[in-house]
Amino acid sequence: MEDVSFRYENNGNAQNLTDIKLNVKKGEVILLCGESGCGKTTITRFLNGLIPNFFDGKRQGDVYLGDDLISEMPIYEISKHIGSVFQNPKTQFFNVDTTSELVFGCENLSMSVDEIKKRLDCVVNDFKIANLVDKNIFKLSGGEKQKIACASVSAVGPDILVLDEPSSNLDSKSSWDFEHIIKKWKEQGKTVIIAEHKLFFLSDVVDSIIFVKDGKIAEKWSIDEFRNINHRDFGLRQLNLDNLELKRKEYYSNNQEFLELKNFKFNYGKNQVLDIDDVKIPKNEIIAIIGKNGAGKSTFANCLCGLKKSCKGELIFDGKALKRKDRLKKSYMVMQDVNHQLFTESVLDEVLLSMDEEDVELSEDILRNLNLIHLKDAHPMALSGGEKQRVAIASAIASKKEILIFDEPTSGLDLKNMMKVSENLRYLQSLGITSFIMTHDFELICETCSHILHFDDGKIIDNYKIDENKLKDFFLR
Amino acid sequence: MGLELNFNLDPRTKIIILVILSFMVFNDMSLYVSGILVLIPFICLLFSNHKKSALMYIVVYVLAKYIQIYILPTATGLEAIILITFSYTTSRMLPILMMGYYTITTTKVSEFISSMERSNIPRDIIIPVSVVFRYIPSVYEEIKSITDAMRMRGFGMNIKSLKNPLKVIEFYMIPILISAVKTADELSAASLTRGLSNPEPRTHLLEVKLTKVDYSLLAITFIGFGIYAYNFLRGVLIA
Repeated sequence: MEDVSFRYENNGNAQNLTDIKLNVKKGEVILLCGESGCGKTTITRFLNGLIPNFFDGKRQGDVYLGDDLISEMPIYEISKHIGSVFQNPKTQFFNVDTTSELVFGCENLSMSVDEIKKRLDCVVNDFKIANLVDKNIFKLSGGEKQKIACASVSAVGPDILVLDEPSSNLDSKSSWDFEHIIKKWKEQGKTVIIAEHKLFFLSDVVDSIIFVKDGKIAEKWSIDEFRNINHRDFGLRQLNLDNLELKRKEYYSNNQEFLELKNFKFNYGKNQVLDIDDVKIPKNEIIAIIGKNGAGKSTFANCLCGLKKSCKGELIFDGKALKRKDRLKKSYMVMQDVNHQLFTESVLDEVLLSMDEEDVELSEDILRNLNLIHLKDAHPMALSGGEKQRVAIASAIASKKEILIFDEPTSGLDLKNMMKVSENLRYLQSLGITSFIMTHDFELICETCSHILHFDDGKIIDNYKIDENKLKDFFLR
Repeated sequence: MGLELNFNLDPRTKIIILVILSFMVFNDMSLYVSGILVLIPFICLLFSNHKKSALMYIVVYVLAKYIQIYILPTATGLEAIILITFSYTTSRMLPILMMGYYTITTTKVSEFISSMERSNIPRDIIIPVSVVFRYIPSVYEEIKSITDAMRMRGFGMNIKSLKNPLKVIEFYMIPILISAVKTADELSAASLTRGLSNPEPRTHLLEVKLTKVDYSLLAITFIGFGIYAYNFLRGVLIA
């Protein structure tokens, strides 16, 4: 085996990367961290050859793999040495079935059929994914998809793995599984470079940490040094979730008002995926919905919003029993992919569309309170992810919704943006809105929530006022 | 019906049959010829875990044909217009739609690439087409979630959306287009890092071969098409 090391210099314009010098030794596990847009992803793109092969731009300096210049290698040549896993599990699969995806890289590199079969058996064993072979990728959970992505990259047998925010869509258990995958690679002597916001599952496997700020390498730490710094000072997520403290131990309003859910049941074919008889939830609180992937959280959210016709449940709200269609008027879901719910040509139109009687002044008030007024004429699709989310919230306020449901509002967000989401949620609370948050983000729950609904297997197995020990049991195993 | 009877056709067969069936849109043909061609998608669906769609398809088709032959001659007025629209669109379009549905749901992207490469079709054509293949299931998921989003904003099957049908179409198109561009971009980046651009010929774990079933279905299709073409040409020549 050759001695693999990188040397990477770039003197591009200030917005992108400046003067990055980075040496990675063979077998090291390196974490790249920093705020959103700091240049982490750009660094990974240099490493896997997408710059300059796919993304254009001005470029100075060179990246070496051993003695070879990466920018001079054709990208299929790079792919033999460097494997990449990306953030979005939806768009990194070329195939629709898992087996073809696992061998896709090998087929592209013209390996012999016998060799491919051998490697397929090998990764299926290594990653313990025999149960996932020959499945439709669209039917897998986020964690399973990421496992397939890792296994299929591994099948090619690269020495170096470059991971760009691989865990942003994973629940806490799948994140821990991901730790095992990285450990496995480390045992095999592979070099792993990982860009991430979520840090907690990496503390036992990473060797050194590189903190990127404004396109520059601002700090380098060993893992021991990194454990002792205050992560908040650097705008980073918590490394050890055990250090987190609950911020909202008491209910916001102690007026003892409740929502009551009655008879929420839903079946897919013969499988009952939601089964709730009778549950009381405090009104005007921020309620976290937790549970593993596939525990029935999103089905519950859809039924609560009135989107599932065959769910006959009732919501008792202010003494009235709301049927499906009434709930559709009272509630609103902010989806994980906000792009799906912004339709108009300007932010202001988006808010006006939600009103029965168009009222420009009121709309501008709403936008002002959500810090969007300067963007009122911008096209919603041109905004950043956080701004889009706020536009969706604004349209919900405008249509006088009283129940809001958020689907993973903080997946893939850094500390700063997560805090902003938390602020928005509290603002909604001050307007008297009850919010439900489906989330895997323990840090967000600590900052924001005061009540927990814990789902498992389609049932609410626990319904409690926030409690540190119970939560840590769930999130830290 | 046992599972062992199921078969999967070579993607080439599927595409050839699909193209030939498409000729049916252009011309009405005698019942026995169209009967043969209509049965092909039915057989394909029946032997490929789509038994329910196969049966629904054949029932709807027979209904449409029945209306066309026995009811239309005596129907008048508005009733006739509705029946004509229904029976003609169904009997001509449905077989093609079903064959298309079958082709897309039963073809793996890698099978498609491998069979196209065997026919020596250039990569520059194969790769974009296979990306489209790959993208179709995700469009379906996106339409579902956009529909949900619209219903929460009060656009659904109601007066508000009937008043602005164009708006509703626009509301669907914008998110779909945006995500199509994004998906295509990320997908190409991901496939490049996996060596898709390697100029050497790919190898294939799943060998696709033309089997007896392929040949027999192709033979039936060509015979049907031959009779159709013969009748059509004779018609042209006599006229």
